[in-house]
Amino acid sequence: MTFDFALAWTSLPALLNGAWMTVLITVSVMAVGAVLGFGMCLVRMSRNRALAAIGAAYVAVFRGAPSIVLLYLVYAGLPQLSIVRDTPLWLLFASPLFCAILGLGLNHSAYVVEILRGGLSAVPAGPVEAALALGLPPRIVFVKVRLPMAVRYGLKAYQNEVLIFLKSTVAVGAVTIADLTGAANEIFAMTYDPFTPLVTAGAMYWLLTNGLRLGFEALDRRLNRHLAATVPDRRPATVRRSRPGLSLFRQPLVRRLPAKPAARETH
Amino acid sequence: MGPALPIPTPTPAPQGAGTRLRTRAAIELRDLRKRYGEQEVLRGVTLTVERGEKIVLCGPSGSGKSTLIRCINGLERHDGGTIAVNGVTLEADGRGVQDVRREVGMVFQHFNLFPHMTVLENCTFAPRQALGLSAAAAAERAMHHLARVRIADQAGKFPAQLSGGQQQRVAIARALCMDPRIMLFDEPTSALDPEMVAEVLQVMEELAAQGMTMLCVTHEMGFARHVADRCVFLDGGEIVEQAGAERFFVAPESDRLKRFLRQMLH
Amino acid sequence: MGLLAYGADGYGDELLDGALVTVQLAVFSYLLAAILGTLMAVLTLKPHGLRWMIGRVYASVATGIPSLLVIFLLYYGGTEIVHALLAPFGVEERPAIPPMAAAVAALTFVYTPYLADLLRSALQNVPKGQLEAAEVLSVPRRQIWLKVLLPQALRIAYPGFVNIWVVLLKDTALVSLAGLTDLIAAAKVASGSTREPFLFYGVVVVFFILFSAATIRLANRQSRRLDRGVRASEA
Ligand SMILES: Nc1ncnc2c1ncn2[C@@H]1O[C@H](COP(=O)(O)OP(=O)(O)OP(=O)(O)O)[C@@H](O)[C@H]1O
Ligand SMILES: [Mg+2]
Repeated sequence: MTFDFALAWTSLPALLNGAWMTVLITVSVMAVGAVLGFGMCLVRMSRNRALAAIGAAYVAVFRGAPSIVLLYLVYAGLPQLSIVRDTPLWLLFASPLFCAILGLGLNHSAYVVEILRGGLSAVPAGPVEAALALGLPPRIVFVKVRLPMAVRYGLKAYQNEVLIFLKSTVAVGAVTIADLTGAANEIFAMTYDPFTPLVTAGAMYWLLTNGLRLGFEALDRRLNRHLAATVPDRRPATVRRSRPGLSLFRQPLVRRLPAKPAARETH
Repeated sequence: MGPALPIPTPTPAPQGAGTRLRTRAAIELRDLRKRYGEQEVLRGVTLTVERGEKIVLCGPSGSGKSTLIRCINGLERHDGGTIAVNGVTLEADGRGVQDVRREVGMVFQHFNLFPHMTVLENCTFAPRQALGLSAAAAAERAMHHLARVRIADQAGKFPAQLSGGQQQRVAIARALCMDPRIMLFDEPTSALDPEMVAEVLQVMEELAAQGMTMLCVTHEMGFARHVADRCVFLDGGEIVEQAGAERFFVAPESDRLKRFLRQMLH
Repeated sequence: MGLLAYGADGYGDELLDGALVTVQLAVFSYLLAAILGTLMAVLTLKPHGLRWMIGRVYASVATGIPSLLVIFLLYYGGTEIVHALLAPFGVEERPAIPPMAAAVAALTFVYTPYLADLLRSALQNVPKGQLEAAEVLSVPRRQIWLKVLLPQALRIAYPGFVNIWVVLLKDTALVSLAGLTDLIAAAKVASGSTREPFLFYGVVVVFFILFSAATIRLANRQSRRLDRGVRASEA
């Protein structure tokens, strides 16, 4: 049980390759999740009962299923449908990378739906009504007032979700993609030294998750600068309690609080 | 119900979709009705606000003052009667609401500023998005109105960095930036600490002096005496009494208003 | 549906065995993590000092890396780790680590700090008067912890605990990549040889949705009971 620095050094290029794949998948899934999540959130919140039920089912299935199962379903299941097999779509689904991004993206987007929905329903009625009273069209009120406020409310939950799904990208090993974990396993298989590659890979994951977290915290500070220290901090207690000096050791703790319909102001 | 109403009720206008009332009044409400489920909140309110007129609306909590104000600019849909603003009819199904909102500015009890925008952005947002003004033109207009409410020096701050009174003055400037011809106020000072009430009332008085048509829900008697052409007492969803400020406060006729004023003074 | 039958022609028994592995794995890991997490919460209650720093470093590592990586590390390297731990005591053992034990140990390692953090902030939210009231009654220290502070903290942390349970349950799905024949591995074998991926993975999805829904329901009923006690005693 020793850490072999020479081996760590020589396997660095292979591990960095794997890390690059992990980053690529993470970024792609975030993009897919944002687009699908936003669209399905509108469906989920639709006034049309049938559409809303479809949205609810989407969330229940894709959030309830472990992402590795969705990955298998996309990779092994969808090519069995003739619409995929007999059309140019086949070219897409033949690519493990595409299947991995879609499978993880479906899972991630279901969480985005719920986070966004929670944020949207937490936006107080006041500013929205003020914007309407100014004669702004409802579409602009949604895009420029309600959505920006919802994004700010949901940012912390979104950060937790992204960090958790970044770690769950290890599932792509199931469809033969060599990500960071895959690269470490490869080195283990060649050297029979489990510690050096896995610990090095672990350090890289640690850097990735904490780098991402610091990025989110910077974004949070930027988006919430209107709550700057001169005024009472109205963010949730968990956010406020952070100790700046020790921020590297802070980690997301509670994943995705269920979306609670916020109390509306009455008039 | 209370005693016979001293208000002459005009004959109801012919109703129908798209009716354009030929009237010169700023706001014309006829037999306005609104219910929430079983509860009838407005039971046939008829009220005409002439151009340039300043009206103070008061009444006990739950009497329907906010509902009345919110129906006028379509934040609530009315269930019966007609609403016309500067001759534009607001239909119960919401048709005409954008036209009406262009004419009417509104100030809320809780300011309702956009928390993520600076004071200046709060004021330039609607002119840019709804009127298509350039950034420079919108900023110029905003600074003009911010200066009017004496808060131009805070233009770069966020709402949360201002006191309540300052926020409410920004909210007034924000509404003025859309060049409304009518202003609605829903208890603009009742969420403020006492020492900030005066600065907001003064801005409102100046606005009145410049000829703005105003419909204010407020219980500030001093303001009503200085400014109001007419005071209207709403109770149980109907107008019980209306009169000039002096007679309204000194010689109320109905028992309900007398009782209300007695409670107000205590 | 014959494919789901029990016995030689169907895959019902394989799936059931797999589901059992999944459930065992989740339950054992969660219970261990809850026990160790409680211990860790109590030991690192004061936000300064050596214990707290060690706790933070451990939490940062455990929550900053994927649990599958820890599973691999314990599975491949567990024998050596146990040997290294026992060697100072003169025990020269190199026991083989079964995959199940490696997986339980890994998930426990990863989820302990999550639960500890929930419980620690809950403990900090128990009103100070509770501790003082118990102390002036000269209740023994251990009883104060066991009978006064922890039960109240648990009630506060309860929703978070349920949350983590669901996350952990789904995280177990990765162990098939380390060679455990859990539900997912069984479904993979079945769908591979029958070419019916929708059927078998569909069963897996339904299992996870229903199982977490059932446990959440159970947890909510339990939580209502906890709350009822509190309201009654406050009244
Ligand atoms: N969205 C709503 N849904 C149901 N009932 C409502 C709603 N808004 C108002 N009401 C009811 O309508 C009645 C009138 O409310 P409104 O807010 O107009 O009163 P108000 O005169 O403005 O009172 P206050 O002085 O307290 O502001 C109240 O009984 C209130 O409970
Ligand atoms: Mg009101």
